[in-house]
Amino acid sequence: MWMSKTWLVQAFFIFITTESIGKLLDPCGHISPESPVIQLGSNFTAVCVLKEKCMDNFHVNANYIVWKINHFTVPKEQYAILNRTASSVTFTNITALSVQLTCNILTFGQIEQNVYGITVISGLPPEKPKNLNCIVYEGKKMMCQWDPGRETYLETNFTLKSEWATEKFADCQTKRATPTTCIVDYSPVYFVNIEVWVEAENALGKVSSNHINFDPVDKVKPSPPRNLSVSNSEELSSILKLSWINPNIKSVIRLKYNIQYRIKDASTWNQIPPEDTSTTRSSFTVQDLQPFTEYVFRMRCMKEDGKGFWSDWSEEASGITYEDRPSKAPSFWYKIDPSHTNGYRSVQLIWKTLSPFETNGRILDYEVTLTRWKSRLQNYTVNDTKLTVNLTNDRYIATLTARNLVGKSDPSVLTIPACDFQATRPVMDLKAFPKDNKLWVEWTAPNESVRKYILEWCVLSDKLPCILDWQQEDGTTHRTYLRGNLVESKCYLITVTPVYADGPGRPESIKAYLKQAPPSQGPMVRTKKVGKNEAVLEWDQLPVDVQNGFIRNYTIFYKTIIGNETAVNVDSSHTEYTLSSLTSDTLYMVRMVAYTDEGGKDGPEFTFTTPKFAQGEIEAIVVPVCLAILFTTLLGVLFCFNKRDLIKKHIWPNVPDPSKSHIAQWSPPTPPRHNFNSKDQMYSDGNFTDVSVVEIEPNDKKPLPDDLKSLDLFRKEKSGTEGHSSGIGGSSCMSSSRPSISSGDENESAQNTSSTVQYSTVVHSGYRHQVPSVQVFSRSESTQPLLDSEERPEDLQLIDNVDSGDNILPRQQYFKQNCSQQETSPDISQFERSKPASAVSEEDFVRHRQQQISDMVQSSGSGQLKGFQEVSAADAFGPGVEGQGERFETVGVAAVIDEGMPKSYLPQTVRQGGYVPQ
Amino acid sequence: MMKILAAGVVPLLLVLHWKPGAGSPLPINPVNATCNTHHPCPSNLMSQIRSQLAQLNGTANALFILYYTAQGEPFPNNLDKLCGPNVTDFPPFHANGTEKVRLVELYRIVAYLGTALGNITRDQKTLNPTAHSLHSKLNATADTLRGLLSNVLCRLCSKYHVAHVDVAYGPDTSGKDVFQKKKLGCQLLGKYKQVMAVLAQAF
Repeated sequence: MWMSKTWLVQAFFIFITTESIGKLLDPCGHISPESPVIQLGSNFTAVCVLKEKCMDNFHVNANYIVWKINHFTVPKEQYAILNRTASSVTFTNITALSVQLTCNILTFGQIEQNVYGITVISGLPPEKPKNLNCIVYEGKKMMCQWDPGRETYLETNFTLKSEWATEKFADCQTKRATPTTCIVDYSPVYFVNIEVWVEAENALGKVSSNHINFDPVDKVKPSPPRNLSVSNSEELSSILKLSWINPNIKSVIRLKYNIQYRIKDASTWNQIPPEDTSTTRSSFTVQDLQPFTEYVFRMRCMKEDGKGFWSDWSEEASGITYEDRPSKAPSFWYKIDPSHTNGYRSVQLIWKTLSPFETNGRILDYEVTLTRWKSRLQNYTVNDTKLTVNLTNDRYIATLTARNLVGKSDPSVLTIPACDFQATRPVMDLKAFPKDNKLWVEWTAPNESVRKYILEWCVLSDKLPCILDWQQEDGTTHRTYLRGNLVESKCYLITVTPVYADGPGRPESIKAYLKQAPPSQGPMVRTKKVGKNEAVLEWDQLPVDVQNGFIRNYTIFYKTIIGNETAVNVDSSHTEYTLSSLTSDTLYMVRMVAYTDEGGKDGPEFTFTTPKFAQGEIEAIVVPVCLAILFTTLLGVLFCFNKRDLIKKHIWPNVPDPSKSHIAQWSPPTPPRHNFNSKDQMYSDGNFTDVSVVEIEPNDKKPLPDDLKSLDLFRKEKSGTEGHSSGIGGSSCMSSSRPSISSGDENESAQNTSSTVQYSTVVHSGYRHQVPSVQVFSRSESTQPLLDSEERPEDLQLIDNVDSGDNILPRQQYFKQNCSQQETSPDISQFERSKPASAVSEEDFVRHRQQQISDMVQSSGSGQLKGFQEVSAADAFGPGVEGQGERFETVGVAAVIDEGMPKSYLPQTVRQGGYVPQ
Repeated sequence: MMKILAAGVVPLLLVLHWKPGAGSPLPINPVNATCNTHHPCPSNLMSQIRSQLAQLNGTANALFILYYTAQGEPFPNNLDKLCGPNVTDFPPFHANGTEKVRLVELYRIVAYLGTALGNITRDQKTLNPTAHSLHSKLNATADTLRGLLSNVLCRLCSKYHVAHVDVAYGPDTSGKDVFQKKKLGCQLLGKYKQVMAVLAQAF
């Protein structure tokens, strides 16, 4: 009751609503056509017709119509006013698939109001379906498929139509998900031709495919044969019999078959010749199979005449052929232990298991027999593949057979030669090369008949021992590949041994790689010798474990820090190389790359620096230079020695010898020696007060023989006043001051230096033993020679000649002593440089010598000697003890003559009687 | 006019579109009329007819066995009594006749058997609804008979220009009891097996 009321309310509401909308949505016009579907690229015209009622209400007519397409106003040029109420719009070459076309009016002249709208759909008519074909799955209904043709952009229906000559079948409508296939809903009837075609239809047209007419039995795809089984035969180990159940269609049609088989672990199928299986059957016997081998079979079928389709493959079935005796003798070889004991040798017989194709069954054991010449047989039954026996050094014949359930294999015979057998006749032209991922070995057979070949190989390694693997080849073989688990980048040492009837031949070996690779490490290069412009590099051969291939060559790359890298190729047989044209004193970086056929690998970088000089180059420079210096020095010395007089004249000032002066000649005779003491007394310490010392720079330590001679002469004459040189004598011959004594030869030099030498005038005392009241040292500003004798060296020479006979030896001794002293006491020389006493008058040196002697008597020791030397040097300028008065007296007289007016002279070193001998 | 229609087009359509239990036996009155086929008959039509006869003959015994087995006792053990080929009004066949005669007689036999198998199939779906194998076999045989009929007609029409053949139909079993239905069906299939062997040899 409650439900019926609710229903009534709902119905009333719907009625009211419908009536209201009908009035409310009453349009002012309409567009014709209502739902147009047009062909892409074609023209289209639409007409909008206004209702009179609206025209009156809004005061409009067809001129007020505005067309819009997808909300955009259509240009007026496309409009056409048909009459007062109708306006049309035309579009050309429409390309849009779907557009919204609206008719609008401008109410009151300006307010746009929509009147009506339509959707214009564009597309293409269907193309003629092509490649229609049908298939009849056995036990199922027929399915047909076709190519629909181009895209129509419209909803297109495909209908599969079929009929017999006398009957039509219901249409097969495609499903939306599979518009190109259709499965008819009736069972196929064989042996009745059926005609099939497809009709494609959409809003723009309808088109049919070509009709195909066929007997459904010629379109059958049978079900595969089922229950396939395989059975073997004990009588024949090479056959297997197949049995199966044919598909049900076999009651209707005749069948043919495809039968395929393969060994269980193989991947490729072998097929029974089709002509053998071209008729209907339910069994087949497969022949020429391997004994004791598991085979897998599969099969399929189709209509015998080839019309229709092959069935799917049947399920696989497998069977094992029956056993047969081993078809081949096992590979047989031996190894001899090199150690001999008591006339026996240990021989290990080894053999290979036969392949499954050769065993023809399960191998139960192996039988080995050993026969020595005229000896009984030794039989062994072995389950393993090796047998170690102790044999004498004689020749043996070994045979081997493999045994299975059915029988024995043919025997494999091997001759083990006597101990003293010399193997000869090797194979020739042995080669090994990789090909097709296998390592092939090829050789030229010897001239003699070979029973078989034994190939042995192992991996060469620096770390692991050579573990041999081997295989046997027939005597007719001269090319094979190694049937082992070879790995890439390993060096294999392959040995081929021909085996003759009387024993093995001489083995030949070769190295090979299955596949080369770049080396794992590069060579470590180092320098063997580095020169100024070249360097000898050396390296070690790469270990075989890292070579990964045959080292074909090396490349040495070297460069400086800033230079480009230079590459040098080196043959692989070398282990050292000399880099030439290098720059000296340069850092070089060098690395080395080793190449196999597959690439290279560089080693660590090595640096070295070329030296600045080549070996011996320094010696070649220094030695000649030193020799040149030495030679020059010698020449200089010789020159100086030869020209010493000339040199002396340039070095030492020409000191006039007072003893050779005219004054000396006319001066009163020297008091006799016995009066010397009285003079000493007369000129005691207190009398000889001040001495003027002129310091001069010594620039040559050469002895001055002439001066010394003159001095010596002077000393002889003044022996009574020995030990005092006078202040004049203290002025060195090197001094710029003109000394009071000078040799006659230095006349010229004296004149040369006269401009700079200031003569000292010593006013010692009064003339002729008169003691002056005041001791005055007067400096003479005269540049004139002191005496005439200085300008007459012959006078001095004369004196020299007179004294030379007595004074040669002492003078020599003096020089000798003086030199030795200089040598033993460098301080002395230093002192002499600071105190120009070394080059002073001979008188000073005589005193010096005498003082040395006296002091040596009194004291000893180097320190004293040093102090003595200093003192003695100073003493040379200090007041004398004896004879000084006379000497200075003489000089003082000369000074008085030269200088009429003696000048006061301030001595540079004044020792007021300041010398006290120690 | 009505007579012609009843004797020509309508029986032909009925034959071509029979359904189990449709129609009733019509008088056999073949006449020469214009043949209208949808498309030309294949050239190997007689071969197809032979193949169809062989197909039917090859499956007839299995169908017969399947049928009486499906009916259960007493049929399997009383085949001679219950399933003997004692069918009245079964169209005759003269194997030594001309091809045209043989084809016309074949047409009548196939039309008769088709109608009878239709009735049997209808009855078995009621009597043995779970005997799907039997149903499938009956349907497949009926389909084959339809195809054979089409081929024969096409041959008669295309070669002998026979557009109409009067056919007779088997007894209507709709009013009979279950056993009678089973028995009539078994007898018909026995006859079917027998006649198919003859027909297969005759062509």
